[in-house]
Amino acid sequence: MARERTRLAWTRTAIAFAAVGLAVLRINVAAGVTALLMTPLIWQAGRMSGRDALGRARPRQLLLTALAVTTVALVVLVVVLLGHSTSGFHPPSRVLGRPG
Amino acid sequence: MTGATGPADHSAGPGAGGGGRVEPDARFTFANERTFLAWSRTALALVVAGLGIVQLLPPFPGVSWGRHLIGVPLIVLGAIVAGAGYGEWVRNQRALRRGAPVPRSLLPVILTVTITVMALLSAIVVLLSATR
Repeated sequence: MARERTRLAWTRTAIAFAAVGLAVLRINVAAGVTALLMTPLIWQAGRMSGRDALGRARPRQLLLTALAVTTVALVVLVVVLLGHSTSGFHPPSRVLGRPG
Repeated sequence: MTGATGPADHSAGPGAGGGGRVEPDARFTFANERTFLAWSRTALALVVAGLGIVQLLPPFPGVSWGRHLIGVPLIVLGAIVAGAGYGEWVRNQRALRRGAPVPRSLLPVILTVTITVMALLSAIVVLLSATR
């Protein structure tokens, strides 16, 4: 049961990477693609979690995950600091009820 | 500790008891791993929040650097939380192997203090922009 819960936690983490990637893709392609590329790595690390019958610690997979998050953070930081400032999010006029 | 069945399973097999380092009970290892993953997801959320603030919020009138002041520290905090989460996993795993008490985590304190400071900064930026 603990192994199942851990696998589910890995699944949630992989989904989080994918969701972050898709959400960020709209804002910045580089940051979004970076997060999306990490998703299969996290997913694979999680699949390997379930195969270890003894439940041994896996420092390499966890370090990879920490590095993946840090990489996404650094890419986003570069985008924010070096990219051009936007004027904010403007929903399409039909959402605001104004004639389009 | 005599006779206590703690996280370190001293009947784990060959090498058990040698130097006090044995592979801990799998349940504790898995719990430690899940905690690390939770911190990783928290770090991702902080990064996305920071990016959203900088890119999606309209500029604060009269405070052109307001969005960066609020968003950039959140992104940096996300990177710190990711690294610190791994460091805590290593520390906890080491304690589990030795059968020692798991050390207290500093991450909740760091997160609480930083988010509180960011909230206060945000309030100041909003008030400043309202007066300009």
